Amino acid sequence: MTGSKTNNCSIIFSEKIDIKNAPDNLDIDLQLINDQITGYINVTKSKIDTIINITNLRKKHFNLNLNIYLDEDSFLGLRDESEYNFGSNIIIKSKMNKNSIFEYFRLNSFLKTTKNHFIHDIEISSNCEFRDFNFSNGSDEMHNKTSVSLNDENASYVGSGVMISNSTNSNNDLLIKHLSKSAKSDCSFKTVSRGVSRVSFSGKVFVDQDCSKTVSNQISKGLIMDETANINLTPKLDINNDDVICAHGAASGKPDESIIFYLKSRGIPHKQAEKIYVEGFLGEFLNKISNSEMQQKALKYISTHC
Amino acid sequence: MLNIKELNVSVEEKQIIKDLSLKVGSGEVHAIMGPNGSGKSTIAHTLAGNPNYEVTSGKIDFNNEDLLNMDPSERSLSGLFLAFQYPIELPGVTNASYLKQIVNVHRKHNGDKPIEAGEFLKMLKEKSSKLNIPMDMHSRFVNAGFSGGEKKKNEVLQLDLLNPNLVIMDETDSGLDVDALKSTSEAVNQLRSSKRSFIIITHYLRLLEYIEPDYVHVFQEGSIIESGDKSLANKIDTEGYAY
Repeated sequence: MTGSKTNNCSIIFSEKIDIKNAPDNLDIDLQLINDQITGYINVTKSKIDTIINITNLRKKHFNLNLNIYLDEDSFLGLRDESEYNFGSNIIIKSKMNKNSIFEYFRLNSFLKTTKNHFIHDIEISSNCEFRDFNFSNGSDEMHNKTSVSLNDENASYVGSGVMISNSTNSNNDLLIKHLSKSAKSDCSFKTVSRGVSRVSFSGKVFVDQDCSKTVSNQISKGLIMDETANINLTPKLDINNDDVICAHGAASGKPDESIIFYLKSRGIPHKQAEKIYVEGFLGEFLNKISNSEMQQKALKYISTHC
Repeated sequence: MLNIKELNVSVEEKQIIKDLSLKVGSGEVHAIMGPNGSGKSTIAHTLAGNPNYEVTSGKIDFNNEDLLNMDPSERSLSGLFLAFQYPIELPGVTNASYLKQIVNVHRKHNGDKPIEAGEFLKMLKEKSSKLNIPMDMHSRFVNAGFSGGEKKKNEVLQLDLLNPNLVIMDETDSGLDVDALKSTSEAVNQLRSSKRSFIIITHYLRLLEYIEPDYVHVFQEGSIIESGDKSLANKIDTEGYAY
């Protein structure tokens, strides 16, 4: 588990569902009935890491209701780099059994005029780590809601969201529940808002009374590029134990003109200077992505959509 | 190369530079010395085109072009370089990536192709070595978490990479320890040529002991009150600015 070898399989959603190269430790059952995809993915322990690449080729609104189960000592990488040009409604419920790792990458493009909803509820057991990375360009109506329950000792969550809004909207809600001692959470959210964009992020960390030795970090930052753009960042802490380390920070504002001037003083034209600055701003936390291939893809996503 | 005529500059409606005139010829090294708040950095930022500094009157010719009509990036592409007193931090952008981009923007301006990765690495190694800059510094974000000395060395490295013909060094010596001051000065001295001029802004004599100026100007309340040779810097060092 988490070795250098990976077993890559794919799920392609079109008029039908194609599952390719699924290894023996993967049990997938997905049904497409009346434009609704329903099913489950179960992963069991394997010596080789299991990666599932998801591709959406459907020419209509994408509806998915998925249950994911990771058995003890298992690894699942879920990678979705699809375009959602007809809107989407994705509901996922996940459960991680002890010592498992779940790495979920979403690098998605959405057509501006579509409606997109994403809900993920995940239950995390002892010594598990959930790594959640979401890169998005928003749409006229977008809601992202992730709820993370750190149920047992040493359960861990690392998450990073990047929202690049060019006159699009998005509401992003993250709830992290520390329900056992010695659990860790580390979340960052970065957004750039242009035109008439509206971006909101609400990040709530709840620490239950028995959860000593909790460590939680949350940071959210936004860049407002135009007078008509809007960003609303709301960190919330509900801490019911004294033996914890919890930090949070939120800041949004206009670009720092001294940085733009510095870049221009080196010969870089204004537009390029602004692009370098914004890419740097959004890419500040990419070092949280340990997989170099996915880190490069995230960099490319930022560069393409900035 | 540079001809400043009766320049007046204001910041937030407060006049800082008053009727300043200064000529810098090709290959000359001019030192500007003065107490805190005398307007030395204002001159540096005005020359580089910082929009926070408003030129209310006067003229600046740079290589027979009107510098004040140029955008900061055009000034850089025309050969002007400012080594910042307080270099900015740029989180999320590695130093190597940033340096390559500034090299390429100048290459593009000169009609050259973007530099090959291997060639850039070789050049970076060679120029970093002159300044005792470790290569792993380039995988860090630009100036983020750099010490004061590392930031200043990074400024001089950029100067070396961009090959400008007018260099303004705004208190490059501040934040440098003795060894760093020596290696930085040696690198600057290697860059001196008959086609490259320097304006060195400093409070102290110590930098000028390594980089010998042709002229020294004393700045006070936004104007040059006295000009001379290096002996003037020695006098200031002994007697202070109230001499």
